[in-house]
Amino acid sequence: MLLSMSRNPEEPVYNRIEEVRASLGLSRQDLADKAGVHYQTIGYLEREEYSPSLVLALRIAKSLNQEVSELFSLTPFKKGK
Amino acid sequence: MSKKNKIYWFEGVTEKGVKSLLNEEDSKFRWLRPQRNRRVLVILMAIGLVLTSMGSYWPTLKTNLNLSSEVGLIVYSITAIFVILATIGCYSFLRIAVRSIADAPDELLDERQIAVRNTSFRYAYFILGYVILALMVMMIFGPELQMFQSEGNNGSYVVIATLFACAALPSMVMAWRERDI
Repeated sequence: MLLSMSRNPEEPVYNRIEEVRASLGLSRQDLADKAGVHYQTIGYLEREEYSPSLVLALRIAKSLNQEVSELFSLTPFKKGK
Repeated sequence: MSKKNKIYWFEGVTEKGVKSLLNEEDSKFRWLRPQRNRRVLVILMAIGLVLTSMGSYWPTLKTNLNLSSEVGLIVYSITAIFVILATIGCYSFLRIAVRSIADAPDELLDERQIAVRNTSFRYAYFILGYVILALMVMMIFGPELQMFQSEGNNGSYVVIATLFACAALPSMVMAWRERDI
């Protein structure tokens, strides 16, 4: 069906954005402002419904004072890491 | 001091207009944002497009309804004005419902919004192909159409509806598909 085609058939990118953002006491809007994106894009990223470009991943990592490899992974993160 | 409002003539949007719609603080149109309401708007827009195109076949319909020419003209004029205004209204609300993302230039959007907009245009292009195909079938097998003639079926309503469809389809696709806008 034309309108039921998968939006993101590629490999999912797992992340710890929500966990790190919460630990820093930032709202989605705060992080969105720092990373220069819409706050809903942060929501999509946290729900792993959108895979960021390398540039955006770097910007988010910088905004959260993390290394990209600590924030994003091709395999699921262990709980509480 | 207020910054100059940049007008994007090609896209038909203004910088302040898009930024205002992208800003969640602007809650005036929040009721348009739930996907269900957006889908209702898409259905209304589709009905508006079909009704607008049917304007071309009014003389044939009028004959079939056995209306006198005077009554027919009054009904036709009132209906045409109402349908076109309602369709324009639907289109305006649709643009607001999708925060003008379907029309906004890259520099006002983030990368996800650009991806969503581009996907909507891709689907809209496919759908437009089917719309054109339906029009061709209608022109081949339907009542004869003439352009800019005072007598007979006036094909200009089909042209207007097609132009409306070209403009509105990306917003319609986006309004229908996206869970959060």
